[in-house]
Amino acid sequence: MEQNGRTEQNRSWVAIVLTDVHFWVPVIVLVGGLLLLRIIR
Amino acid sequence: MESTAAQDTSRARKLQVLGILSGLTAGAWLGAAEAPTKLVSIGVSPMVISLIMVVGVFLARWSLPALILGTSSVRADVRRAPHLIIWALLAGCLWAVANTLTIFAIRDIGLSIAFPLWNSNSLLGILWGFLFFNELRQAGWRRWAGVLGGALVMCVGAALLAIASSSEAPAAHSMRGVWAALGASVLWGTMYIPYRKAYLTGMNPLSFVTFFTFGELGMMSALAISYLGLAPLWRELMGARDVLFWLMLGGFIWVVGDLFQQYAAKYVGISRGIPLSNTNQLWGLLWGILVFGELDGRGASLYVQVIGGSLLMMLGVAAIAFSSATGKEQSRWKEAARREGERYDVAQDYVEARMDGRQAANEAKPSRSALDWLLVAGATCVFVVLATMARVPQMSLRWGPAALLIAATLVLLLVCGAKLWRTTHFH
Repeated sequence: MEQNGRTEQNRSWVAIVLTDVHFWVPVIVLVGGLLLLRIIR
Repeated sequence: MESTAAQDTSRARKLQVLGILSGLTAGAWLGAAEAPTKLVSIGVSPMVISLIMVVGVFLARWSLPALILGTSSVRADVRRAPHLIIWALLAGCLWAVANTLTIFAIRDIGLSIAFPLWNSNSLLGILWGFLFFNELRQAGWRRWAGVLGGALVMCVGAALLAIASSSEAPAAHSMRGVWAALGASVLWGTMYIPYRKAYLTGMNPLSFVTFFTFGELGMMSALAISYLGLAPLWRELMGARDVLFWLMLGGFIWVVGDLFQQYAAKYVGISRGIPLSNTNQLWGLLWGILVFGELDGRGASLYVQVIGGSLLMMLGVAAIAFSSATGKEQSRWKEAARREGERYDVAQDYVEARMDGRQAANEAKPSRSALDWLLVAGATCVFVVLATMARVPQMSLRWGPAALLIAATLVLLLVCGAKLWRTTHFH
């Protein structure tokens, strides 16, 4: 029961992170950086 | 009531001064981190050099927080704000990719063009700080001019210093190098979003860096393996046995600088903290010229360039240092902190206490356990073993200036460390 509660709590903060627009800015920049690295190699 | 307001103002002013001092100390230590790597002149690939430094960084990022506050404090922070693990890992990945891009940038366009290009990350930091975290809002035109103008002047100073300190010939792939340097700048400038995010929701910098380093080491290892392959990477690591110590020592010193950079980002924000810690270029140059004699026998015009660039950087630093946030701007920072606290369900009293550099009322006093001492002992053993394997470099060093620079760096560490302890107990 307690484990279910914790899993739900974990899921909820992961969901909050994923719906935070601030999160996607670094993610997009990171993907862009990896692509750039691939291109210049 | 009035005396409470006066106390708040005085506390805020103390934290601002602490943030500025942390930024300057960060610059000195980040610059000093270049010194051990200069001792390494064998043919080790840049990717392997970067990976070994990151391993040193990894050891330092676990042992220093364990020594200062204990891992119980890290665990308590994570329980309160578990989402910050994702942010820390993300920041670590950004750092590793940016660092790899700088290797290409230096190779293709030389340090002279690359360094000022990626040092422009401070301008991006100002933009993100303004857009996302209410920094410089209601700050007034004087502070805007101080911060933005100071950062721009520092970029010009950095460009002059980099041109003076570089002797590389123009390379064949100049555009590729420019893109790599600009990419590193964007990645490093954006890396400060997770930093600020963490500190606005109360995380201790010492906790943040312990998770940051997993992203850093994981991404750096993945890049090194994908570039070189596992077997060649291992062969190169084995071949570099006698310089491992110097490179990992560079990583260790870098972590001390980065810790102060984290406290600067926490107490003066990223718009001011990043340019202040970018003074590392100035310190790096001091080490290069005074200790390693990099500009020996060069013309007087070069020295004029170096002195001019250094003065410009100091002018920029002074402009930023004297543009500390006003009460109105700080109340906008608190608004951003409240927003983050509500979003991630972090207790407001905890966020407020941590923003104020205090321990929250219901927070247990941090203590060290056997695990902490084990971590410290383990990291120390690794460094001792590597030191016994290390080869003393055959190069002429000027020990007088080296002793002076080491003393200045240590004085900054002691002064800033003592001030951090007295004001915040490292919270």
